[in-house]
Amino acid sequence: MNRGLSRIIFAVVSLLFAAFFLAPLGIVIRGGFSDSGHFTLRYLIGVFQNPIYAEGLFNSFRIALGTTALVILIALPLAWLTNRYDFPGKRWIGSLILVPMVLPPFVGAIGFQQVLGPYGGLNTLLGIGPVDWLGQMQYGGVIVLQALGLYPIMYLNASAALANVDPAMEEAAANLGCKGFTKFRRITLPLMMPGLFAGGTLVFIWSFTELGTPLILNYTRCAPVQVFDALKEIGANPFPYALVFVMLVSSALLYTAGKLTLGRQAHAMQGKATVATVARPVRGWRGFLVALPFLAVIFVAMTPHLGVLATSFATPGSWYQSILPQHFTLDNYAEALGHEMTIGSIRNSLFYSALAVAFNAALGIAIAFVVVRSDIRGRGVLDALAMLPLAVPGLVLAFGYLAISAHASNMDWVKNSDFWKNLLDVRANPTLFLVIAYSMRRLPYMVRSAVAGLQQTSVALEEAAANLGAGFLTRLRRITVPLISANLIAGALLAFSFSMLEVSDSIMLAQRTDYYPITKAIYELFQLIGLGQYLASALGVWAMAFLAVTIVGASLLLGRKLGALFRI
Amino acid sequence: MPVAIRLKEVTKRFGSITAVNRISLDIEPGELFFLLGPSGCGKTTLLRSIAGFYTPEEGSIHIGDRDVTHLAPDERDTGMVFQSYALWPHMTVAQNVAFGLELRKCTRAEIQQRVAEALAMVQMADRAAAKPNELSGGQQQRVALARALVIRPQCILLDEPLSNLDAKLRHDMRAEIRRICKHAGLTAIYVTHDQKEALAIADRMAILDRGVIQQCGSPQEIYRKPTSRFVANFIGETNFIEGRIRSASNGTAIVETAVGAIASTALPAEPLAQNQAVTLSLRPEVIHVGTEPKDPTNVLRGQLRDTLYLGEIAQHHIALPTANGSPLALKAFELNPKLIGHECEAKEVQLWFRPANAVLLAS
Repeated sequence: MNRGLSRIIFAVVSLLFAAFFLAPLGIVIRGGFSDSGHFTLRYLIGVFQNPIYAEGLFNSFRIALGTTALVILIALPLAWLTNRYDFPGKRWIGSLILVPMVLPPFVGAIGFQQVLGPYGGLNTLLGIGPVDWLGQMQYGGVIVLQALGLYPIMYLNASAALANVDPAMEEAAANLGCKGFTKFRRITLPLMMPGLFAGGTLVFIWSFTELGTPLILNYTRCAPVQVFDALKEIGANPFPYALVFVMLVSSALLYTAGKLTLGRQAHAMQGKATVATVARPVRGWRGFLVALPFLAVIFVAMTPHLGVLATSFATPGSWYQSILPQHFTLDNYAEALGHEMTIGSIRNSLFYSALAVAFNAALGIAIAFVVVRSDIRGRGVLDALAMLPLAVPGLVLAFGYLAISAHASNMDWVKNSDFWKNLLDVRANPTLFLVIAYSMRRLPYMVRSAVAGLQQTSVALEEAAANLGAGFLTRLRRITVPLISANLIAGALLAFSFSMLEVSDSIMLAQRTDYYPITKAIYELFQLIGLGQYLASALGVWAMAFLAVTIVGASLLLGRKLGALFRI
Repeated sequence: MPVAIRLKEVTKRFGSITAVNRISLDIEPGELFFLLGPSGCGKTTLLRSIAGFYTPEEGSIHIGDRDVTHLAPDERDTGMVFQSYALWPHMTVAQNVAFGLELRKCTRAEIQQRVAEALAMVQMADRAAAKPNELSGGQQQRVALARALVIRPQCILLDEPLSNLDAKLRHDMRAEIRRICKHAGLTAIYVTHDQKEALAIADRMAILDRGVIQQCGSPQEIYRKPTSRFVANFIGETNFIEGRIRSASNGTAIVETAVGAIASTALPAEPLAQNQAVTLSLRPEVIHVGTEPKDPTNVLRGQLRDTLYLGEIAQHHIALPTANGSPLALKAFELNPKLIGHECEAKEVQLWFRPANAVLLAS
């Protein structure tokens, strides 16, 4: 790739990052090092000396480590099974296994509490007294809930990586007498590493900075929740700023360490595999045996959301010390959809998310190209830069945007012009900042997916097109993008569904009812006294169903089934 | 119209490694030119520099009248066949071939016609709708060739195009490639490490080693008149006999060797000095074993150690007694062999060769 273009992309991306990522972050971080205008390290040192903050960081680290391990444990065997075996119902099971990805965890937590609460379904089913499962498990509960929501990321990456491993590599190993697990460990696993690294990084950093799950499970002794709690007393307490800084730096360090040890070698396959992997058909009880782990994972992962479903149909107050609700009704739906902000919020979310994904896709491909295909200095920096949003909790970034917006809306030229007011003042119209927030937060998925795709696609395929006279854009459009389309679609779907489900940005930035995105609407419904959880569940079910339809529809348009989107 | 390709002092470095070191070449219009050398010699780097995937640090590259040194690959109008074929897996055979024509804004009818012609030329017309991964290696190779040729490029660049094929197919395809290039009147540069391929179809070839051209010439010149030990050893098989010049005059040199004096009339261009250390290169097929000498100049006696019977030839290993005691091993081919069977082994034999076939290397 030519250097001039690489440098332009580098400059544009850096500029965007400076304006929309570093600036808001800078405003927030500055607070951590500033003591009435003077630079100080007091707060940074204080974070480590304060036993509560130190414990919070340690707990977050444990949560991230545990979640990543659990996710690999769940996803890797499933990916391997689906790559090797053709079992009855594979199509449907392969699609269902991804469903937790499109289920908003903070909605799921409502159901989780209904099922696992002291007077919930599980205790009634087991016939035991009011055991507080969630309270007992402490950070274990956070790990389990996060892993159940995050394993599809690893599953998709592992499947895509497996599909890209040339079977001839394994055949060569088998030919030399290597078989079974040794073959997997020595040959397949190293070749999958770029994909596994992509998935592992996402899961680790996500769970390290996840706010929603521990917050709703009421587990307050971890860094993100401490930051969130302290934001309420913003201005009075500079420690959350310093805490955010520590999290930011440790995420960046973790990522770098992982990249150096795991993602170092990019094993480019020579073109795509010359022989296709043939999944071995298994029928009868063997087929069922292969399908069983999938069914088990699907069941456990969907339990919270089945809880939401049951809640949405429950007559308020009828699910108490019973396995399932005692009385059912459709009133919750009628009420939730009848609410003035509901329909508008669905439309708003679609619009914000679509814009964010389009912006993301363009930026993600450009960055991946520079990182993988160019040799300019600083491409490693660009790669790290694009990953940074994962290390920053959404609410910190959202707070930064709020600060920028507040600053801008005080300017006379903004005050006096409807155009600038609608663009820059979130109180008037949050669209720009919401779209930017969604894009920035989800950009890493797009970049990681595109990078993994490019690393596994031989550069000779692009050179062949250049040789025939195709310029850069033509090559991109006709060769590169189609070849890594599986990765791009995976990344775009992730970005889209996560944008639709984004909580912290939405709750903080959307301040006018007619601009509410769907998550803010659910949150607002949840706040209603008495009926809150039932109405929120009803809208949650609508959101989940809508998202599922959108994604399945997209996969149908592409002429492929959902599970196969991630294989070529 | 076929074009000339001229390289002037081209140098390409990767970090501290100089992959191509001040290479100059003049390739004539319509010539089928080979770059030949062991792996790591810089031949592929040179080809990729001509295609535009590398930009040389020094020197210039001209294709026809155009200085393409700093042009992007897509502005050079070369057709390249990649070692891995690099067929796009998401397109059919026909779409792969049509790609270059679409970029050249040909009409749909013209594209259809030219794709059909190109596929017919490489005998792949019946597989137009197939995807590349449904094809065998030989079929993929032919599609790659069709894709490069269909755009009627100014020149065609082939990067070890046959290295992934089996021997029989390689044999057929190399003749096919020459036929197609000559039929289209194309200037072609062909990179390979397979000397048989080069000898069989090249108009001229350059032998590269460590980024430098060791020798450039027609297959016959390279084979019969190598100018260095490297080239003599790299192309074909040979025997080296070291010695010193006793006399050199009138186009004949007498070399004093461990097995006696040997006369040579295949001399290097530069003048030879008395007592200069030289090497004689003797191809196995120029050494006649067990027949009456037709030329009495160079006649030696030795012991037949063993014989490999290969059908059309026999390969004899002969030990020549030397002054210092350890015998000199020599390999000789006998065409339509008679000296075969175990009774021949350990037999005293007489061997002879013509002075014109004893190539004198000045090193």
